[in-house]
Amino acid sequence: MSASNSWLGEVRERAAERQAALSRRRFLRGMGVSLALPALASLVPGRALAASATGGPARAATTASGAPLRLAFVYFPNGAIQPAWWPQGGAGRDFVLSATLEPLAVVRDYLQILGGLDHVNATPGPDGAGDHARASGTFLTGVRVKKTAGSDIRAGISIDQMVAGQVGHLTRFPSLELTCDAVRKSGNCDSGYSCAYQYNLSWRSDNTPVAPEPNPRLLFERLFGAGAPGERREGYRRRQEQQRSILDFVRDDARSLQAKMTHRDKEKLDEYLTSVRDIERRIQGAEHLGPSPDPSVATPAGVPAGFEEYLRVMFDLLILAFETDSTRIATFLMANEGSNRAFPEIGIAEGHHYLTHHQNQADMIEKVARIDRFYLRQFARFLEKLGQTKDVDGRSLLDNSMIVYGSGNADGNRHTHTNLPVILAGGGGGALTPGRFVRHGGVPMSNLLLSLADRMGATGATRLGDSTGRLSGV
Amino acid sequence: MALRLTVRRYDGVDLFPELALRGPASAGPWIQAGMSPLEKNMVDRRAFPSARMIRLMWLAGLLLSGGELVAAAGRSAQVAARFRQEIQPVLVEFCYDCHAEGMDKGKVTLDAFASDEDLAGRQDLWLAVLKNVRAGLMPPANKPRPAPAQIAALGRWIKQDVFALDSAEPDPGRVTVRRLNRVEYRNTIRDLLGHEFKVEDELPPDDTGHGFDNLGEVLTMSPLLLEKYMQAAETIVAQAVPRVPWVVQEQFLAGTTFQLENGEGKEGRADRVSFYDETRLGRHLDVGRGGSYRLSLEVQVIGEFDFDPGRCRVVLRSGDRVVVEQELGWQNGKRFSFGAEEVWTPGRRSLAVEVQPLVSVRQKKNSLTLLVTGVKVTGPLEREQWVRPKNFELFFTEDPPETPPARRAHARELLGRFVGKAYRRPVDPATVDRLVALAEAGWSQPGARFEDGIARAIVPVLASPRFLFRIEDVLPFTGPGRHPAVDEYALAARLSYFLWSTMPDAELTTLARRGELRRNLDRQVDRMVRDARSREFVANFVGQWLQVRDVEGIDINAQVVLSRDAAQDGELQRNRQRFRQLRDIPDEKLTPEQKQEIEELRTQFRRRFGDRPRVELDRELREALRLESELLFNHVLQEDRSVLELVDSRYTFLNERLARHYGLTNLNVSGRDLRRVDLPPDSPRGGVLTHGAVLIVTSNPTRTSPVKRGLFILENILGTPPPPPPANVPPLEESEKETSGRVPTLREVLAAHRESALCRSCHNRMDPLGLALENFNALGMWREQERGQAIDASGRLITGEPFRDIRDVKRVLVTERRLDFYRCLTEKLLLYALGRGLTYADVETVDRIVGNLERSGGRMSVLLKGVIESAPFQKRRDESQRPL
Repeated sequence: MSASNSWLGEVRERAAERQAALSRRRFLRGMGVSLALPALASLVPGRALAASATGGPARAATTASGAPLRLAFVYFPNGAIQPAWWPQGGAGRDFVLSATLEPLAVVRDYLQILGGLDHVNATPGPDGAGDHARASGTFLTGVRVKKTAGSDIRAGISIDQMVAGQVGHLTRFPSLELTCDAVRKSGNCDSGYSCAYQYNLSWRSDNTPVAPEPNPRLLFERLFGAGAPGERREGYRRRQEQQRSILDFVRDDARSLQAKMTHRDKEKLDEYLTSVRDIERRIQGAEHLGPSPDPSVATPAGVPAGFEEYLRVMFDLLILAFETDSTRIATFLMANEGSNRAFPEIGIAEGHHYLTHHQNQADMIEKVARIDRFYLRQFARFLEKLGQTKDVDGRSLLDNSMIVYGSGNADGNRHTHTNLPVILAGGGGGALTPGRFVRHGGVPMSNLLLSLADRMGATGATRLGDSTGRLSGV
Repeated sequence: MALRLTVRRYDGVDLFPELALRGPASAGPWIQAGMSPLEKNMVDRRAFPSARMIRLMWLAGLLLSGGELVAAAGRSAQVAARFRQEIQPVLVEFCYDCHAEGMDKGKVTLDAFASDEDLAGRQDLWLAVLKNVRAGLMPPANKPRPAPAQIAALGRWIKQDVFALDSAEPDPGRVTVRRLNRVEYRNTIRDLLGHEFKVEDELPPDDTGHGFDNLGEVLTMSPLLLEKYMQAAETIVAQAVPRVPWVVQEQFLAGTTFQLENGEGKEGRADRVSFYDETRLGRHLDVGRGGSYRLSLEVQVIGEFDFDPGRCRVVLRSGDRVVVEQELGWQNGKRFSFGAEEVWTPGRRSLAVEVQPLVSVRQKKNSLTLLVTGVKVTGPLEREQWVRPKNFELFFTEDPPETPPARRAHARELLGRFVGKAYRRPVDPATVDRLVALAEAGWSQPGARFEDGIARAIVPVLASPRFLFRIEDVLPFTGPGRHPAVDEYALAARLSYFLWSTMPDAELTTLARRGELRRNLDRQVDRMVRDARSREFVANFVGQWLQVRDVEGIDINAQVVLSRDAAQDGELQRNRQRFRQLRDIPDEKLTPEQKQEIEELRTQFRRRFGDRPRVELDRELREALRLESELLFNHVLQEDRSVLELVDSRYTFLNERLARHYGLTNLNVSGRDLRRVDLPPDSPRGGVLTHGAVLIVTSNPTRTSPVKRGLFILENILGTPPPPPPANVPPLEESEKETSGRVPTLREVLAAHRESALCRSCHNRMDPLGLALENFNALGMWREQERGQAIDASGRLITGEPFRDIRDVKRVLVTERRLDFYRCLTEKLLLYALGRGLTYADVETVDRIVGNLERSGGRMSVLLKGVIESAPFQKRRDESQRPL
């Protein structure tokens, strides 16, 4: 399947050379199947390419051509080796990909390399140590998270949840949250901060993180229902029905408790009741969206043993979720901020976090750069597949997506949070101008987040954390 | 002075929420009618210039508690007056050199208060003062220290005046309602429905705070999680609730339970039989009831991908009778089941499975074996001999009645009983009615049975907040100024989730219903500790306190670690380097000379390392390491020994593998089971600090980390963690630049960094403790040298005590510094038991337990019962009495 009508034709030609190797069949095989994917039309509810293509007012989370517009955030931990990250040569379209970014060469024209974006609220300020907890806690919220080991965690609503709150009703799932951290370390997290800041990117409210899903099988079953291909639609429908009857009961049960609860307990119960309402709304909304898709691929097994395979399966599921228009918003925490994972797959025995404190020793720097490149290789593969997957308007999913890849730490050795390594990939349905290296020079990253929210059609978001406005020239 | 008054009914409902009073500009000491004797006493004793605490009581048939009014300014003046009188002179003498008159070492000043309110309101500062002075960290070891009486006076002032702690009625603090975490959920489902649910696969990991995963504040709820709970409820009920009242009894006699009766000399598993060996496997079965039985032999033919001509006859015999006889040939992994019926009278039966080869072994091409999965015995088949299905009694009591009213009544009884267990307290009739309605809708469906209806009603119970959260009620109001005790159902749940990580059992629930649990608390705690379920407490508490849980998943590169300990050898280094260079050249480009060089290097390496035992941190070893720590704690718990043995003991727990890992091969430990082993007199082992699990989780993937280990001891043994490092300063030990032509030892690297004043204050505390453990490598194995240099483990604690090695450190920890350890362990255990972080208000509770521990020589039961009997565990803060 090729993305023929792409408005970035040149790059597609170059990508086409590699398509034999990275074909759609391989994508499917990666998910543990050898079946061909059914024709797209059967997967996506008919409404997707609807009236707006013929004109009329712009619709939320929709491209000018009437296809769904997607927004995703992919997080890598511990910052990047700076000299190896930033492109060489001039800014604008004349940049030369650096050693670390080299794996992205094939999708170069879909990238905006963004320099000069800062998260000032991740800096120590009055809070002292804890740059890792702040890096991830601030990344999508822009706020200074509260330094507490557990008694009263507080961040702010994250941009993905803010957008999902407004456009989430368009899809069966307002948003998806993914991670490849299936196991958590015990003991304390970063310097007096609760682990919640390091293991969650998405925050539904100040004090409620949205726990990401680490299990590929469960993610798949949630999206499409359990069972073999052909059985899932019925399973999915039955599940919604059962959920509805459970919700009726537990809502009343929760209300009966409210009266006698004290203040903090009430807040906890509110978390519960809000969840009940969210699910109810989602189920009701999904009924208007027609029957659920049932991709003819096998359900993935649980968590794969190797990290590379694990990342690939999760990225593949994200593509499938976008392709079937099951959601338009996602966050993917590839590893928790401060992750000390070793990388035997590329011959690195030491932990990532340990290595990032390299004290300018060449061999350690070289290893971190290799890890940076490892993560980017997985991301590049994801973008390539997005580029090879056709959307309802004949363009590719990559054309109709806005994917932010980045870390809340810039230099992992010194814990800096200015000039963050951030890439914005995708064509945004024509709303972005990729193929450039742009130095913004000290602008809040929150401005970028708001600009993307605008393009998703989320209205009324005036501020996010430390934002000072919108990022111009995206 | 503006006073805001809230009048509440005794059940906490605001009667006049916005009624505000403007008080006199300078109120005299107010004692209100209805104040407790204690409060009157406080007002009298302290002779407040203005009202310290004002309480309006309203007697109208019932005693009503008044809202609390605090004249903050008056109290602060009192606190400040005592400060100037009693405390400041001590501080001037011992602290003000560094923390006053413009000096602010560590950013601490003890004389710059904006006002009396500021002085009295800085609880965090005074808590830090209290901790540092009591732990002997301040004044520093080389400075004069206050006399014990002066320290005691300082402590009294901080606790009674600044914190306003009332030792007669301690503030229980505020607990937030707790969601069951993954482990608690799994265990509760097991006890409630008899079903093993794989939470690790189905539910996301819980967030943690203060190092533990059972804190109410941190255990959040999200739509995704609720969806997962709903899905789990359906899955669990579908598998756990039996749908028929009677079933034929079924037993599965696994192939592994059969004994080999001939074909001796065979190796491997008895249930795997070659097609070419005459073999007989047998076992007995005691038949309780006579009748018809269905026997089915389940086997699998395991052949290779390629054909093999082997054939055999497989026979199942009951006594001498042939029940099943079947010929089998080559298959690639296919399963078979062969059944037949037998009539049996009660008594002992012998069953045998025979394999009779039909093709000579001379024709054998590939391996072909029969896996005897087992024999399924179903029966007696006669209707009157049927039995109740598994878990029947967890949900049902008898056969379902026929008429609709009788069915409803019976469903009400069953569901009332179940939901009471699930919600851990009696449930209102309205809730049960709703469940009965759900059940009836269920069994009224075409083809559905009564049991299907009950199952359907159980599903939402498992997703209810009353199941997923531990909802607590309190006992009735007992008087003003008193915090109410949690009711006995809540107490039963607090006990069971603390000591068992699961729901209360029938005995606890029965006592709670009768209101007799508190009266029998001591006996119940003893019973619960002796119960096998207390191993959950041990695993969850020890696993997180000492982080030994993490040993199951941590990455350590054994090869790199061991090579650091090997003697340094220049030639070896050069050879290694050369070898790596050659390996980087693609094979096709290697010259014959280079190929030969590679082979020679390989031979050299083999000669050098071939005889060295391989160390692999595999699952078996990881499990043994984790168990060592758990078993030590359990031993101290079960035998009510001194908690000091956790730090220093003359014994430990080993199996053969772990003993070998530690090099303790002369202790005659064999087999897989860990057991208590007495250590040789001079052994450095014993106590958690020398447990491999602890040593490993405080290491980096390729080598030890004295800083992490030192920090671990400060945080988890002494309870005096240093402040976090200043921002943007990377960890110290991670610079190993070569100096004067050789790699410096870790000790030298650390010493160099301690020359910086910024690093010194904390690393002087961490590093000596961590360096004392340098004789243990990152795998927890003993070593004398690292990179060719002898290890020096000696040092001096920040509190002044010198030591030669870890043995001395342990001795100091259990003698001079034992109070610090008692306090640290008490704080950790209290936090785990309460599910909340501790605050300054808990200082009194902790002090009291520590005092009792000291008097008892550190007995574990004193600690455990001290926690359970403490105000925070027994009571809930009355939020209506919160100071304004």
